[in-house]
Amino acid sequence: MKNRLVPWLMVLPVLVLFLSMTIYPFAFMIWSSFRQYDLSKGAETRFIGLANYFEIFSDRTAIESFKFTAKLLAIAVPIELMLGIGVAFLIRGVRGEKIIRSSLLVPMMVPAAVSGVAWKMLYNYAFGPVNWFLSLFGVSKISWLGDMNYAQLGIILIDVWQWTPFVFLMIYAGLQSIPQDLIDAARVDGADWGRVFLHVEFPLLRPLILVALVLRIIDCLKTFDIVFMTTWGGPGAATHTYSFYIYKVGISFGWNIGYASALSVLLLLVSMLLVNVVFRLVRMRQQLGFGGEER
Amino acid sequence: MRTILRVLRYILILVCLIFFLFPVYWLVITAFKPSNEWFTWPPRFWSTQLTLSNFLGAKETEVFGGTTGSIENIFPYLRNSIIVGISVSLIATIISASAAYAIARYKVGGAFLAEWIISIRMLPPIVSAVPLYVIFSRLRLINTWWALILSHLVIVVPLGVWLLISFFREIPREIDEAAYVDGASTFQTFFYVIFPLSAPGLAAVAVLSLIQSWGEFLLALVLTNDARAQTLPIFLGRYITGWRVAWGPLSAAGIVTMLPVVVFAILAQRYLIRGLTFGAVKG
Repeated sequence: MKNRLVPWLMVLPVLVLFLSMTIYPFAFMIWSSFRQYDLSKGAETRFIGLANYFEIFSDRTAIESFKFTAKLLAIAVPIELMLGIGVAFLIRGVRGEKIIRSSLLVPMMVPAAVSGVAWKMLYNYAFGPVNWFLSLFGVSKISWLGDMNYAQLGIILIDVWQWTPFVFLMIYAGLQSIPQDLIDAARVDGADWGRVFLHVEFPLLRPLILVALVLRIIDCLKTFDIVFMTTWGGPGAATHTYSFYIYKVGISFGWNIGYASALSVLLLLVSMLLVNVVFRLVRMRQQLGFGGEER
Repeated sequence: MRTILRVLRYILILVCLIFFLFPVYWLVITAFKPSNEWFTWPPRFWSTQLTLSNFLGAKETEVFGGTTGSIENIFPYLRNSIIVGISVSLIATIISASAAYAIARYKVGGAFLAEWIISIRMLPPIVSAVPLYVIFSRLRLINTWWALILSHLVIVVPLGVWLLISFFREIPREIDEAAYVDGASTFQTFFYVIFPLSAPGLAAVAVLSLIQSWGEFLLALVLTNDARAQTLPIFLGRYITGWRVAWGPLSAAGIVTMLPVVVFAILAQRYLIRGLTFGAVKG
């Protein structure tokens, strides 16, 4: 082993970048979350203890945004998981598998700003293809993004469209890695399709499904772009996601940095917890060469 | 019975393909439709008079007051996206590679440093958006390329470091040692021996960084406020908020924003998948 200084010099740029761009902002955020810090009311700040945190629980819009984020987690994520698993099994071994696989990946590669544009046109009340399709079944026109009852569904559908491919991809790759012998052996022993799935494939896929689930939860908490592009949180506060609400409080017209910081601290804590779970699930330490086997 | 099941399977696959591809198809076809076919009932799923006027501008589109008739005014945004994207891509590749090498070979900072760097990628960007806004305004960097380059680096570097650590770990240590024996310094080994050997990994990191920077929305929205620094996704955001939205140019702008990302993503598919799933899928 040579000079110890050189390796440190090599990480230095990344270190400086992250200290100044993440640690410093996070420290600033925690500091301001305990202060009255509202740019619309002047630049001076003062210490107010936990008041910003208490405000969250009496703030109706904040609670609305909790609810909608919870709905995304409770409805969109399970649909994505089931649909993704279903599609992975559906196209396995079919003719043209590769090209179908690649085409199914397109939605998750499209930048969210662009899919927002596309879906806004699709959902258009007067001329949109979605309403046209429904009209074939005699359903009258629906104001997808403007109606209290449908706007949330509209966002959930976009999320399903964009992220089912992600789940599909993981499960599909997992299926490829199951040795065919194992399935054949079960077959020889007289297991039908359902039993092979239940007793061979599903147990082997379970760790992967778990990773997909947690990664989807983490991403769901970030949902912002698509809401900004399509409903802008409306109608009312129906489609405010938590991230979108922070944006509104802190940047778009609130400028209430203190309160936005308190909201952000909560989100940061939850995310860090989930990231920890993911790291355990994918054995990040071993992947990076720390602990476990050493070469 | 078997045939019925097979037919059913293909029908289901077809339904899936339509569901997942139609929105993109609709965007593409709309971008090439003349203005009289944007708003029709029933919607037109094909056009016999495909045109480039949404991209290049044409007299007929002045129906819309000339303000949103075409995407001629996209150029400053395109320029910003290209400059920010390429800068992020180059800087990210260099600093990720050097950090990844130090971590993979010398275990600098232990597991803690490595995990900390990588975990940054998964944190919600909104969390840093508010403090970054305050900090950048104090530094007078709001609405500059630098604000975007620096903040995008934070998003893309973790993925780059992570991918390259796994890449460098696959290069046998003996190769480094041979270089040392021949009298090369750590830096020389890194630049002349490891760099060339890991060219595919470096290319992947460059491409992935470009993609992420190109499509990034939230930080670009918060840290910029006009055509001097705003990127393409924000240009789209501006279009859509105008009360009279012209579908043709809007879609055309969508294509310009989407095309490089989709093309590069398909090229770098393997690494993209590995990175998105944090090694749960080898790709």
